[in-house]
Amino acid sequence: MLNAFITSFKLKNTYRVNSVIYSIKQLPLIKKILPESLYKNKVLKIIGNIVSIIIELCTIFLGKFLYIFFCIISMLPVFKLNNANVFIHLFLFLTIIGGIMNTYMFNPTKDKYYAMMIMRMDAKNYTLSNYIYAMIKTFIGFMPFTIIFGLISKVPLWLCIIIPIFVVTVKMTFSAYILIDFQKTKIIKNENLLDKLTWVIIGILLLCAYGLPYIGITINQIIFTICFIVSLITGILSIKVISSFDKYKQVYKQLLTSENVYSVENAQSTQKVKENVSKQIEFDKSFTSNKHGFAYFHELFVKRHSKILTKAVKKQSFIIIGIFAVLSIIILKNKELAKIINASLLIYLPYFVFVMYILNRGTTVTQAMFMNCDHSMLTYRIYRTPKVILGVFKERLKTLILINLVPALLIGIGLSFLLYITGGTDNNLNYIILFISIIAMSIFFSVHYLVMYYLLQPYNANTEMKSSTYSIVQGITYFVCYFFIGKQLSTFYFGLATIIFSILYCFISLIIVYKKAPKTFKLRI
Amino acid sequence: MKLVIKHLKKNFAKKEVLKDINFEFEKGKIYGLLGRNGAGKTTLFNCLNEDLELDGGEFYINDKTDRKIEPEDIGYVLSTPNVPEFLTGREFLKFFIEINKKRIKDEKEIDEYFDFIQIEKEDRDKLMKDYSHGMKNKMQMLVNIIASPNILLLDEPLTSLDVVASEEMKQMFKNIKKDHIIIFSTHIMELALDLCDEIVILNKGILKKITKDNLDTESFKDKIIEDLKEE
Repeated sequence: MLNAFITSFKLKNTYRVNSVIYSIKQLPLIKKILPESLYKNKVLKIIGNIVSIIIELCTIFLGKFLYIFFCIISMLPVFKLNNANVFIHLFLFLTIIGGIMNTYMFNPTKDKYYAMMIMRMDAKNYTLSNYIYAMIKTFIGFMPFTIIFGLISKVPLWLCIIIPIFVVTVKMTFSAYILIDFQKTKIIKNENLLDKLTWVIIGILLLCAYGLPYIGITINQIIFTICFIVSLITGILSIKVISSFDKYKQVYKQLLTSENVYSVENAQSTQKVKENVSKQIEFDKSFTSNKHGFAYFHELFVKRHSKILTKAVKKQSFIIIGIFAVLSIIILKNKELAKIINASLLIYLPYFVFVMYILNRGTTVTQAMFMNCDHSMLTYRIYRTPKVILGVFKERLKTLILINLVPALLIGIGLSFLLYITGGTDNNLNYIILFISIIAMSIFFSVHYLVMYYLLQPYNANTEMKSSTYSIVQGITYFVCYFFIGKQLSTFYFGLATIIFSILYCFISLIIVYKKAPKTFKLRI
Repeated sequence: MKLVIKHLKKNFAKKEVLKDINFEFEKGKIYGLLGRNGAGKTTLFNCLNEDLELDGGEFYINDKTDRKIEPEDIGYVLSTPNVPEFLTGREFLKFFIEINKKRIKDEKEIDEYFDFIQIEKEDRDKLMKDYSHGMKNKMQMLVNIIASPNILLLDEPLTSLDVVASEEMKQMFKNIKKDHIIIFSTHIMELALDLCDEIVILNKGILKKITKDNLDTESFKDKIIEDLKEE
């Protein structure tokens, strides 16, 4: 079993190191200097290994630290109760939730997929050895922080020490339960695809965790100790179940389907993601288009993808209307709040850069364009003639702007309306600036995403994202938008600046697209 | 009309995949491009289709005078067929005919094209995401020849077709070859010998024509194998 563990660990390490090197090689400029033989470079391998070890240590300690700090310690002052009791109360319920949602064993990860499906390692040896390792990691990772944070919260030392054991035994109990359930039903539970009932249970547990202390109820040390003893007994029984279970191969055959494994990846890159996107094509035979050429082509695309394109926008619109309606009602009743909102509306416009960024559907839409359309069409040389590329671009730009304009119009009108009912403004131009600047931001983001897509077309024929420049631009866009949060600037001047910037940006970037896109818009090889 | 390639070079990092390609492909012939795995056949096609930038050399069309190759000159059929899955076969053809209107000499009815490529009536108005691999392949082939590009690059185009469809397609290539330069890459030597007028091998980054001279088929095969093995 130890051998199985070492092999799997080495395997995991190798592809971690290779992905580190791969990411380095994707950086612009640097990639030109680096040779192809990089993967056998010993120094780099050592650096990669060090990075890999740091990642491993982070998964052991950093995650636990953040978890205890944010979910427990930072919540203590909220309740104004006995800190020690709140600490163990939160820990108890959150651990049970963790036991359900974070089993390790039933999480379909790439490591497991590579090892058991592709490398065909022995499922039982692989699972048990890695499971033991994961449990030891959990135990060691929690220990320092339960002691430090526990003692700070006045939890007795002996309790601080048994808490990590409690986490491990709860996890093992749930895993054993799932295995026993599999023997009966032959269906394995995927921890990333929980059923509705489980979500309801999790909801209730969360309510118990944070809701009970809110009304002054917490468990005490005696109850925690009883729970610990129960979990210790079930945990020990679980060891027998887990170690004697002999159908791990069947379990993972069911669990490690490529859909499961790749759906947890956020990368927009794999063939599997493409398949999922392609499933979203809707076909209504009654629909025909009277248009011609690229307008015809584009109209059919929009019609067949109306769900991907407009579903989220509809949701956004309802939520925006709801928020403004609620705010309006509150404002009419609460004059104090009205004053605050009025003042905010005149200085917090920068915040809406981030809001408009978050609301914009550019990334999803361009991704669908690539996966379901350009991925195939770009292989036809005729599709890459300037006339066709720019013709399709124009149609797309219109659609993308229109889609995003719906929530933007609502926000623009809503903000101007709020400004009016909260007491208005000395300068009537503020209404117009507020409205137009929101529209300008929306159009800016639509243009930005489409222009970036046409200039940096980041995907290759296997629908993998290959452009680090594209990722960097995306990162910068996020960072800049994030930067505006909380900035206080006069709505009049900031709004005006936003409008001018957006117009200039759109103008310049469209000229660049018209000049460059026929060259840049192609499949990456 | 000729496709002329002069001193074409393509490297990936330090590896010279295409070292010095010099060749003239003539209209009216089907060229069988043979090469071992990784020899650079697809790279050569990608260079000619301008998907990859060259590291040296040039290529152009010689039709009494020399001229640059335009996108309309090239049809590239990939081994894995790529068709926009959100369209029906009919819509895809309609779109392609419309954007190529000026270049299509004697435009036919859409159904005539389907008859030509033998796609059944009931499949013509289905979304192409529900097409089989072979049907997608036929569609890809059809849109590539509809606008009658001067040069047709075919990368293993028959591998996914059944024997009947494959025979029909071969016949089709023979019928249209007089107006095109057809370069056909394949691993299957029998197919190359059966269909192609000339055999060209890509080995060690160099393109070389193999002449049959007076050899019988078996000896010709042996000669090709020897050339491909050459270090």
